Amino acid sequence: MLVALLSSQYARFKALADAWIAMGATAFGVSQEDYLLAYWPAGHLLARPSLRAPIMLEDEELGELRVAGLHGLMYEQRLRADATMLAYTLQLERELQQMTADLVTSQDQQVALYRLTQTMRDHLTVEETLRAVVSEAMRMIKAQHGYAMYVPVDAQTALLVQLPGPSLQPELLWQLFWQAQANEQDQHVVDVALETTGDPTTCQILHLPIKVRGAYLAGMGLASTTSEFSAPDKKLLRAIADQASVQIERTLLYKEMFDQAKLRTEMDLARRVQLDLLPRNLPHIAGLDIYAASRPAYEVGGDFYDFIIQEGRPFMFVTGDVTGKGLSAALLMTMTRSAIHSKARFMPYPTPESVMRQSNEDLYSDFTRVGVFATAFIGQYDTKDHTLTYANAGHSPVIYQPYDAEPILLRADGTAIGVLAINYSRNQRLRLRPGDLLVVATDGFSDMRGADDESFGIERLLTLVTALRTRSAEGIAAGMFEALDQFGQGRSQDDDQTLIVMKRQIS
Amino acid sequence: MEMTTRLHGDVNILELIGRFDTNTVPPVAAWLDQVTSTPGARVLVNLTHTTFVDSTALATLVQAMKRCQQYKGTLLLCGMRRPVYMIFELTRLDKAFSIYPDEEQAMQAFTN
Repeated sequence: MLVALLSSQYARFKALADAWIAMGATAFGVSQEDYLLAYWPAGHLLARPSLRAPIMLEDEELGELRVAGLHGLMYEQRLRADATMLAYTLQLERELQQMTADLVTSQDQQVALYRLTQTMRDHLTVEETLRAVVSEAMRMIKAQHGYAMYVPVDAQTALLVQLPGPSLQPELLWQLFWQAQANEQDQHVVDVALETTGDPTTCQILHLPIKVRGAYLAGMGLASTTSEFSAPDKKLLRAIADQASVQIERTLLYKEMFDQAKLRTEMDLARRVQLDLLPRNLPHIAGLDIYAASRPAYEVGGDFYDFIIQEGRPFMFVTGDVTGKGLSAALLMTMTRSAIHSKARFMPYPTPESVMRQSNEDLYSDFTRVGVFATAFIGQYDTKDHTLTYANAGHSPVIYQPYDAEPILLRADGTAIGVLAINYSRNQRLRLRPGDLLVVATDGFSDMRGADDESFGIERLLTLVTALRTRSAEGIAAGMFEALDQFGQGRSQDDDQTLIVMKRQIS
Repeated sequence: MEMTTRLHGDVNILELIGRFDTNTVPPVAAWLDQVTSTPGARVLVNLTHTTFVDSTALATLVQAMKRCQQYKGTLLLCGMRRPVYMIFELTRLDKAFSIYPDEEQAMQAFTN
C-alpha cells in the first residue's frame, strides 16, 4: 500500500524530502520492513539515520520515515508529525479503494440481477423459477451446490430443488427452512456432510428465508466447500432471494390467471353442451300446459330434462341430475340422457320403471368407475285417461299440487341410477284432474342458499308452489325462479336449477 | 368444513364438521380413497356435526361404499342430524347405506 502511495504521490514525497534537506538534513527516506523504498538525495542510502518515525495505521506498522544529519526533540516531533500525516493519507487511500471496490461490486450485482430478471421471465412454473434462481445464484457467488424450496399455502405439494443434484440431506434443508421461517433470519451452518460419490467432504451452508405474499413460504441456500461466504456474497444472495420472491409471486399470479381462464373455458363449454342438448321446443300435448327451463350455475352441474314424443306411443318426459360439476358432469349428463332417451324410444313397451331399470343396467359400471350417480324422474302421460305413470330414482324435489288440496312431495322409492346394480324404482300412478299441477325440479331449488347460509328447503318450495298454482306453467316457473333470486339476495347459484312444470288444463 | 380422522381398534373413523359439499369434498375423497382400498377395511363416517351434504358429497360416500364392498370391507354411517338424514331419505340412499344413530351403536355393529 505504501509502495502504491509512493508511486502515485512521488512528487509530494520529494517535496517533503526537499523541505527536510533545506532544514539541514543530509538525507530523507521512506522504508518498509528495513528496505528503503525511496531516498533523497540520490546515492545516500541512509545507512545510519539519526531520526526514525514509524508510519502506523490501526496498530500496524506500514513503514518508516528516516532522516540523517539532524538531531534533537524538535526534529523528532516534526518527523513523527509527518509520519502521522502520511498514515492518515494512507487511511484515506484505503477507504477510497474499499469504496471503489464496493461500487464495482454493486455495479456487477446490478448487472447480474438484471440478467437474472431477464432469465427468469420465461419460466412459467414455481419449480422452473426455483431452478433458475439457484442456478444463477451458484454462478454469481461461485458456490458448488444450491437449493431452493417452496411450500404452498395448502401445504399439499412442498417443493425442493437441488442443483447440481441431491447432494444435501433434504431433512437438514427442511430443518433450516423451518428454523429460518420461525426466526425470520438467515441461517448459517458449517461442517455439513455432502453426499458425494468421491471422498467425504464437508461444506458450509448459507440459508435465506424468502417471503411470498407476506409469509415465509420459500427459502434458498448455497453450499460452499472451498471458502466462507463474504459480506458482499451475503448481500448479493439477499438481493437474489428478494428477486426470487418477486418472481415466485409473479409465477403464482400467472398460474392463478391461467387456471381461472381454463376453468372459465371449461365452464363455457360445459354450459354450451348442457344448454344445446336440451329440447329446443316445448311439446304440445292435448290437455296439458307444459313448461321447462334450466339455469346452469357458474360451475355447471349435470342437470337435464328431456321429452320423448312418438306417434302412437304415450308421451314421456325426464328430469335428471348427474353428480359433479363442469365438463365431466355435462358429458355424463349427455350419456344419461342418451341412455334414457334411447330406451324410451326403442323398447317395445316402455314404462318409466323398465326404462329406469334398463338405463341403470347400462350405466352402472361406467358410473361406478368414475364415482358418480344420477337422480332421475321419468314420467309417462296418457292423454286418454290423464294418468301419469312415473318412476323416481332418488330424485327430489317433485311436487304434486292437487287443485283442491295440500301439495304432496312425491318421494323416490329407488336409489339413483348408478348407486346399486339393480334399480328398484317401481311404476307409480297418479291421475291428473283439471287444474292439478306437477313440478319436477332439481335440488338446485331446495338447496339454494340465502344470505344467512340457510337453504331454501322443501317446506318453502311446497308453500311457493301452492301460492303460484293458479298461474300458467310458464308463470309458475317464472315465479319460482323469481322467489329463488329474492331468497338468494344476489348470491350466485351453487348448483344448476332445472324444472319441468306440467299442469292439466281446465278446459 | 373440518375433518378429523382417528383409528379406534381396526376401525378408521372420519368425522365431518359443517357443510360437506362440492367445495369441501377433495380431502374427504382422498382420505376415503386411501382407507377403503385396503382389503377388509372397516370405515365409519360420523356425521353428527355435519350440517349439510350435497349430491357431490353423497356421490363421494357412495363411491367409498362401493370400493369398500369391492375389497370385502365395511363402511358405516352414523349420527345424522334430521336435515341430513332427510337428504338420505329423499335420495333413498338410506336404502343403500347402513346408518346408525351414534358412534357407539355403529361400533357395536362392527363387532357383531
